[in-house]
Amino acid sequence: RAHSNPFSDHQLEYPLSPEEMDWSKLYPEFKDPTTGDMTKKVTVADIGCGFGGLMVDLSPEFPDDLILGMEIRVQVTNYVEDRIIALRNNNIESKRYQNINVLRANAMKFLPNFFTKGQLSKMFFCFPDPHFKQRKHKARIITNTLLSEYAYVLKEGGIVYTITDVEDLHNWMVKHLEEHPLFERLDRTWENGDKCVSIMLNATEEGKKVERKKGDKFVACFKRLPNPSDL
Amino acid sequence: MNVIHPFQAVVSNASGNQIYVVSKSTILAYKYDGKEYRLIGKWVDEVEGNHNHAPTESKNAKSPSQAKKMRSNGGKSSKKYTSDPLFPIITSQIRKLRLSSDESKLIACTDSDKSIIILRILLEGEYEDNCLKLTKRQPFPKRPNALTITDREKLIIADKFGDVYEMDAYKDDVQEIKEPILGHVSMLTDILFVRDLQGNKYIITSDRDEHIKISHYPQCYVVDKWLFGHKQFISSLCNPIWKSQWLFSAGGDECVFAWDWINGEKLAEFNYEKLIQPHLSAAHLASERFQNESNDIIEYAVSTIVSLHTLPFVAFFVEATNILIILEVCPNTGVLSLKETLELPYSIVSLSESHDELEVTCDNRSAGSDHFVEFITHNKQNNCFEIDTQRSDSFNRAVALTLKDEESVNVGSDDIYPLYNMISLKKHGEHYS
Repeated sequence: RAHSNPFSDHQLEYPLSPEEMDWSKLYPEFKDPTTGDMTKKVTVADIGCGFGGLMVDLSPEFPDDLILGMEIRVQVTNYVEDRIIALRNNNIESKRYQNINVLRANAMKFLPNFFTKGQLSKMFFCFPDPHFKQRKHKARIITNTLLSEYAYVLKEGGIVYTITDVEDLHNWMVKHLEEHPLFERLDRTWENGDKCVSIMLNATEEGKKVERKKGDKFVACFKRLPNPSDL
Repeated sequence: MNVIHPFQAVVSNASGNQIYVVSKSTILAYKYDGKEYRLIGKWVDEVEGNHNHAPTESKNAKSPSQAKKMRSNGGKSSKKYTSDPLFPIITSQIRKLRLSSDESKLIACTDSDKSIIILRILLEGEYEDNCLKLTKRQPFPKRPNALTITDREKLIIADKFGDVYEMDAYKDDVQEIKEPILGHVSMLTDILFVRDLQGNKYIITSDRDEHIKISHYPQCYVVDKWLFGHKQFISSLCNPIWKSQWLFSAGGDECVFAWDWINGEKLAEFNYEKLIQPHLSAAHLASERFQNESNDIIEYAVSTIVSLHTLPFVAFFVEATNILIILEVCPNTGVLSLKETLELPYSIVSLSESHDELEVTCDNRSAGSDHFVEFITHNKQNNCFEIDTQRSDSFNRAVALTLKDEESVNVGSDDIYPLYNMISLKKHGEHYS
């Protein structure tokens, strides 16, 4: 299935609050065996991670970051889980791919159940569902009201990465992020110098598909600004 | 047999001498002179609800999938109405009646055309026989479900789609509704405008997905925090005037919660499960769709929680019961303990608070034009809550007398709007993919 209705009451599991989340099941290598506490927190989130290609490529580049993919479609999540298990099993000695994992989740509804204020340094929105119909625009992953929630979980200076092959959606995302007082667009020079941008352009399955079809890919990145001082 | 439609909402002014009620799609104003109530105003919503989406008997026959998705309303009301968030009942119902802080305006949500209506309350001498004058009817893209008023008399409207809009209460012209000022990806159920001890302003919103969100105001794009603890939908929030940093919340959980919303801490929970058990009835059986084979799954929820103006108490009721539960709040710790339960003659439909007085409306369809509203006051002598029978009787007599020939509120006993909709917000995880 290519789509899922983000407004439905899915049979979802989510923690009551970020404190209740047991991350050690997803990242067992980062659990301190003596204290039982996690040695790292998730700092990178791939929202709607699809088949997980971005995470697989980000993993070796950011070995000290825990990277989480969130995906609403059950079968896709199962696939990514299996993919990560296989990658970990094939790299037991080097302990590679221990810093990535996937969760079935509706990030539009339950993001604050997983992450505390300012926990994330990077959020990726790669090839999101375009929801072409006008009346379904609220279902888009970038809206002015959802951006406030993304800004909450992102630390100051954290980055929102977006990429799509649908120009109309690209314009929509840019418009809403530019209008939001807590985000500022990063320029082309910054994009050219950023590792994640090139991974995003080349790593994801969607990205590769667009590549094969010689389609366009539109990238836009934004920095989380500090909260206004007059609060 | 015709009956006067039970009142779905009530508000009173601070001095208690004016009371406003909703019966079906009519708002009525009464004035009290210390002895008697006099009908002084009436406003009837003439806009017909768009009933296209109301699943009627004939439509069920056409669409089995729709019929399957429907749920009955606890067997309480006519089969014509169902309560399912997927198929909202679209009636001409008026909900969420509010009085502006200067008591010059009455604000309500209408189901019929998804509007906020503002009625100006004319002062004595300004009106001949009707003190309610419609000054604005502001349509919204989605159904407004809760509203609050800021210190500058701006209205903040929360809708069933999860968006929150701001509108001007003073400009009479219909406005163009711009972008929402904040939002959830869930149905919004209640909204409060609050201030912290330094005077900073916030909006608190609650939703069907157990979330209480606190956003700065007017910089609503800055989320301050979430309060986590509810495991079921939230139906109602209240913020005591005597302790502005505290918040009480209730809904589908068997607990009501006390919070310090400034520090983001849960102060206390009060479990009312045992208390309410003896008062649950067939009306609380889960609908067929979610029922088991032995037909004994019970579902219930708190409809409304209110705090008293100066006294350290909160009052709440469980939908389709006639028990008003009053809790005492420890003013130092926020710990909640049972103060008393008050039995009302009929199931409670709505609850409001005005300057330490509680007003409840009853499902009085079988009462023969009595017990529309009961006024409950705190007796200082014995520190107990009691029904002010003198005032309640006086009011109910006035209602029976003044409304017996009022066409807009007299209905067949099968045509009463669903009065118990809250439990339909319960999630059953029906979508597996």
